[in-house]
Amino acid sequence: MSAPSFAAALAAHGVVARVEARDALAIVTVPNEGAAENMRDADLRRAVVALAAQHGFKTVAIELARATDDRAALPGH
Amino acid sequence: MEPVLTEAARADVATAADSSAVSPGTTTTAHEKEQSLVAWLAARPSVILGFSGGVDSAYLACVALDVLGTARFLAVIGRSPSYPDAQWDAARALAAQFGIPVLEVDTHEMLDPNYVANPSNRCYFCKTELWSVLRAVADERGFHTIVDGSNADDTHDWRPGRQAAREHAVESPLAELGFTKEEIRALSRTRGLPTWSQPSSPCLSSRLPYGSAVTIERLEQVERAETALRALGVAGDLRVRHHGDLARVELAADTLDIWLAAPNLRALVRAVRDAGFARVSVDLKGFRSGSLNVLSTAGA
Repeated sequence: MSAPSFAAALAAHGVVARVEARDALAIVTVPNEGAAENMRDADLRRAVVALAAQHGFKTVAIELARATDDRAALPGH
Repeated sequence: MEPVLTEAARADVATAADSSAVSPGTTTTAHEKEQSLVAWLAARPSVILGFSGGVDSAYLACVALDVLGTARFLAVIGRSPSYPDAQWDAARALAAQFGIPVLEVDTHEMLDPNYVANPSNRCYFCKTELWSVLRAVADERGFHTIVDGSNADDTHDWRPGRQAAREHAVESPLAELGFTKEEIRALSRTRGLPTWSQPSSPCLSSRLPYGSAVTIERLEQVERAETALRALGVAGDLRVRHHGDLARVELAADTLDIWLAAPNLRALVRAVRDAGFARVSVDLKGFRSGSLNVLSTAGA
């Protein structure tokens, strides 16, 4: 499992996020509600899940960054 | 809000409810299986059932009551911290509505360090406790056969609790006679059982990754979070998986587009944080049974 490479692959698909690995679980933290709302698109969800699998993750979950400090740690902030 | 199945799942059950519906690979209809079940029960002098008020045991209880009557049938609720209070309330209400004779007993798996350590065969230790208690009740009251509500679909899954059932001579007529979950839902609907559209409801400990200790505090966190999400209107399958500080919420896949909408997601996150989780995430695949099995020690 590689969180950095998965994050880079997500960025290449236009999903800017921080990725945290907990064993086979990838936690994808997005900076705002708009980014989370993009995941309403089932095709995008499938693409993210497939990318996660390519990087060794068996499960992927999306998290909304909680505070300014969280968002500051995200790529592009 | 009533935690009912989503529309897609209800459509599947409607198909199974059709009297012409058959199980894949067989020519036996659900109604024919029910006749087999009636004969199976009638051949037993008396039956005691591990009753959770879930889809399977509710259906089995009603058929058993019809066949055996109150003198030869008893449903036993094994109360445990690993099941939410709401489930026991629902089980009692169902029993009262249908006249099911019920006995409530406490089980003490939380005192067993083997259970609390949450190994991959945790269910074995839980069921060992449950069936030991029911065996004592059966012996004391002179009941002949102990049964559970396991169905044919359960036999394809990782179920270490089955070993405990075998060791205590617990029989599973629904599994033995080939009843699928959809058939049980369809037959329940025909009988007017409110459980027909109820999502499956495994114990709260199933929300903790293997190796992550089962504690009352963690179980209560999960229970509070799921109760709050139901109150928000989450319907169908729902699991709040406990990864330490992080909750991973699994929703029915066909409802993800609704709950990822900004106002709904905001409410969902707030509800789960209020239940005691510092971080809240939503699983992008949605609900699937046993999803923690593939994560080994995640969040332990």
